[in-house]
Amino acid sequence: MESFGKEAAVAKPAQRIAWFYVPIGVVRRGFFPGEAAAGIPKFTGSRKEMAEGVRQIPVGVSPLELTPTMKPLEKMREKVTLITGMDRTFQPGTDVHAQCASCFLTSASAFEVTQSPYPLDRSLDHVIADTVGENTPFRTLEFSCNSHKDNKESMYFDNISWYGTGHVAPSLRDPGEAYRRLFGTKEIKAYRNITDLVLENARHLRRQLGYSDQQKFNEYFDSIRTIEEQTEKLEKMRGELARARIEEPPEAHLPRGEYIRLMGDLMVVALQTGLTNVASFMVGPERWDTPYLFESLFQKPRSHHGMSHNQGKYIDDLLKVDHFHMEQFAYLLEKMDAIREANGTSLLDNTIFTYGSGLGDGATHQYSALPIVVAGSGGGRLATGKHVNLSANTGSVPKKDGKYQKVEGGTPLANLWLTQAQAMGLKTERFADSTGTVSQLMA
Amino acid sequence: MTNRQRIACWILTLVAWHPTGICYADDGVFAEVVRPVFQQSCVKCHGRDGKVKGKVDLLGIGGTADLVSDLERLETIIDVLDEHEMPPEKEPELKPGVREQLVLELRKLLHAGARAEKGYAPTPIRRMNRFQYNNAVVDLLKLKVVVFPLPEKMMRDRSGYFRPETGKMPGQLVVSSRQLGKSALIEPRLAGVGPFPQDLRAEHGFDNRGDHLTLSPMLMEAFFKLSRRIVQSSNFDKRTVGIWQEFFVPPGKKEELESEVRERLRVFLGRAFRQPVEKGLLESYVGHVMGQLKSGKEFPGAMKEAVSAVLASPQFLYLYDKPSEGGEAELLNGYELASRLSFFLWGSIPDDKLLELAGSGKLVEPEVLAGEVRRMLLDRKLKRFCDSFPAQWLQLERIISSLPDETIYRDFYYAPPNYRTSMDMMMEPLLLFETVLIENRSILEFIDSDYTYRTPRLRKWHGEPTKERLGGPVTLNFKRQPVSDKRHGGVITNAAVMTMTSGPDETKPITRGAWIAGVIFNDPPEPPPADVPPLEQQKEGTETLTIRERFAAHRERADCAGCHAQLDPLGFAFENFDPVGRWREKYENGRQVDASGTLFRKHRFSNVVEFKQALLEEKDRFTRAFAEHLLSFALGREITPADSPALDELVGQTISDDYRIRTLIEGVVQSAPFVSRSSGISRKTSSSGESKPAITEKQ
Repeated sequence: MESFGKEAAVAKPAQRIAWFYVPIGVVRRGFFPGEAAAGIPKFTGSRKEMAEGVRQIPVGVSPLELTPTMKPLEKMREKVTLITGMDRTFQPGTDVHAQCASCFLTSASAFEVTQSPYPLDRSLDHVIADTVGENTPFRTLEFSCNSHKDNKESMYFDNISWYGTGHVAPSLRDPGEAYRRLFGTKEIKAYRNITDLVLENARHLRRQLGYSDQQKFNEYFDSIRTIEEQTEKLEKMRGELARARIEEPPEAHLPRGEYIRLMGDLMVVALQTGLTNVASFMVGPERWDTPYLFESLFQKPRSHHGMSHNQGKYIDDLLKVDHFHMEQFAYLLEKMDAIREANGTSLLDNTIFTYGSGLGDGATHQYSALPIVVAGSGGGRLATGKHVNLSANTGSVPKKDGKYQKVEGGTPLANLWLTQAQAMGLKTERFADSTGTVSQLMA
Repeated sequence: MTNRQRIACWILTLVAWHPTGICYADDGVFAEVVRPVFQQSCVKCHGRDGKVKGKVDLLGIGGTADLVSDLERLETIIDVLDEHEMPPEKEPELKPGVREQLVLELRKLLHAGARAEKGYAPTPIRRMNRFQYNNAVVDLLKLKVVVFPLPEKMMRDRSGYFRPETGKMPGQLVVSSRQLGKSALIEPRLAGVGPFPQDLRAEHGFDNRGDHLTLSPMLMEAFFKLSRRIVQSSNFDKRTVGIWQEFFVPPGKKEELESEVRERLRVFLGRAFRQPVEKGLLESYVGHVMGQLKSGKEFPGAMKEAVSAVLASPQFLYLYDKPSEGGEAELLNGYELASRLSFFLWGSIPDDKLLELAGSGKLVEPEVLAGEVRRMLLDRKLKRFCDSFPAQWLQLERIISSLPDETIYRDFYYAPPNYRTSMDMMMEPLLLFETVLIENRSILEFIDSDYTYRTPRLRKWHGEPTKERLGGPVTLNFKRQPVSDKRHGGVITNAAVMTMTSGPDETKPITRGAWIAGVIFNDPPEPPPADVPPLEQQKEGTETLTIRERFAAHRERADCAGCHAQLDPLGFAFENFDPVGRWREKYENGRQVDASGTLFRKHRFSNVVEFKQALLEEKDRFTRAFAEHLLSFALGREITPADSPALDELVGQTISDDYRIRTLIEGVVQSAPFVSRSSGISRKTSSSGESKPAITEKQ
């Protein structure tokens, strides 16, 4: 009984939340239980071949079955939940890849936002940070592993985190810069003495603007205030941060796997040390045909997107890419699970860390039956170690007369986001087009 | 009447108009011209029996007022009629002359409707992009070096050829290509200053788009850092900083220190903020510097601190216009006009001359404005326009990541793995653009020119006999040469364009068609459907098919046919150019290339030479599209129907001056949308424009 008293005396670790976005969907037959024998999508207008050979998973909770793509999660299987049967609604008029990433975490329903062709509003990470991000130096942190040098795609292919419609929360993508932003405080102090002056300038300018420009120009005040708060909080944490002992990353070019893991390490240490409680991680940009060298997989640079359009030819290679991304996710889970927190639980135990993609399949580009894995329990709030299927129509989406048929029984992805927001302590009953929560996921 | 007077007139006239109940002189036109066609040829699919293809319901349009209530829809109707997209091929064609008359009348209505809007879409306040920031800092401090290297610039002038003041491009010149010749691009710069991330282009747009340029704490931190690192750079001194003597050197007489500081700051802030600095602001800077000096800081250090604050100040970082009264179009004041002009043509802040003319009120006079445009076009800072507009217009970034199959196109990689023929290729259209601009030639040369610039490597690439050393990779030697072979010349059949619109081992006709539609006609196709099927590649028996035959399946599907009808003829016209832009008569499988088609369902062509001829038949349409690209770049926003009358007018002027590019640029600058500001009236009622979530939730 003594131990109880002790535990109660130890502060409960903070709840954290993070997302791991995988671009360009997955190969369904490698990822989803019951679809191993399904056909390979070819001419995607008729998806007959994909439906053939599918073993329908019952709606509700099933034991977790680790498919070939999910195999890397083996060691963590007790701490992850596979969620299938979740959909998003595509709003026609923008590119399917751009929308699937940029709107993955959005708080807007389709057709709800009028000032943009994207149904895009403040994203889930920021909505949650509005409640849980106040005491950390960084309200949120955004990471991405897009190392492309060509200016080929718009920001909508390259970001999942948004302050609001059209207002991107740009991501850290260079390990050295990320390191300096998280752990380098010297320079921040140096420009303090000009802040007052520029803020005076800003107030002066604001008075001259029209209403909508004033609204947009608030970004300037917000940015400066945010930086100031960061600086203050970072200074208080300096002692703690010194103990985290993370080395400054090398400037050299890193092989893709190392690059992803290094950025992931930075995210984990930021969550561990309390630099932030909310983080998003975009493994790569959507579409962006420029090839990457996946060092451990192929001899030559490959375009993930290019291959995704021809599963018939590249299925084995695509499965390798999917597996590779899952390995990186598993690496981060294991790393987080090895970090002990004050009450003896692990960092992973106190985090809700979601793997997901905005496409249910890289070839069919469907917005339904998305691949989602939720790891960690957010401090005991979520149940893990199982498979939750939410739709009797898992799998490919039928198309008729050139239009997707509405999938009956699918569950909006926003239901998961609402569940996560509530698990993080938000008092809200709705998120985007949510229709409820995922009760099977709650502990 | 000049444009300026004309828009002043509209503004006067329009005040009396009621915003919604516009009274059109003649609704009879609707009854006589428009309705009969709609009834006979359109409503079958667009309105009748609940059928509303493409969500266009023409049955519901009861009169002129309905037509102009949605100008974007009206513009679409005009476009599909004008481009012979509608009625579709399988439906009966309109009677001769009907289409032309209908387009004419609808366009009149569009113009009337656009004028009645009383304003133009505003460009929201926006921070500078990376390219503008670099240029602005260089110009403000009169730096002799760059702030940081800019990969946005695709070309570096190595022989000092860029001399717009001469009105002539030299016959020979030397450039370096950014593409992978990294060492070729290391220009002298400020030591220890790192860039902030590059701003991505808008889809079908430019990297200066107001709605895409936002600020975040991370970027703000980068601006703060930059503002200090610039002034603290180890080579920030009298050799690199042009204003060193007049700004950083301590004044001689101690007793006049404060007034001297005030005067220096007044001038400096005026240039940085592109308008006279207001007294209160000036005094806060003076106070800051004097405080620093009193606390023992040496003079240059205190002034550097002030510069640092200026570089992080929103008056420097942001581009914006003052709001207009009631959202109606108003003429810009001289300073706003000076900024708009300099960011358009120089990608930077105005120079002293522009500010002076702004201050004296002369710049807003059309003749003075025209004179300034001409002066700016002869200034070497015009290179910044050439470093940003043409490459983005032509989407040339795409060539950087084009990697043709090296087992098939081994000679594409001339010093593997980094140096590629694409380095030479991408310079060719850029040099053509500069020639047209510097020599004030016709923009139709972008479609077809009788000269081009090529390196020996490019000559060899295209099968011209050459015994020269091929050169490269660091410096590329270009020579101007006549083009008599109509397959070449212009930008559209350029090897860079042909290569970047191809896959590694085969051409992508649809990608090529989409490029022509977007770049040449500013009519980009809708985003591709989610489920584009791959071409049947491995299926037995397909080896003997041509790519056109393999695409047949796409055209047969009803939901694909619409876009393919538009894109196929544009793309297949280039089939004689292989995936690396070289001419071919036959495919690998021995089949003859078929490049024939019909442009806009009216110009038949059997090969690319005839296709170019067909494009030239549509030269006014190209001119209009090019003007739209240019105006969009100049204003940092999307073009809307309200810009239509101004565009038609400046296109008309350009046509009557033999399509000369400077006439077009001057026309853009003199156009009503360019010289006026409007806070913008939302045409469609916006339900949620009010609450814009901020970086932090609380305000």
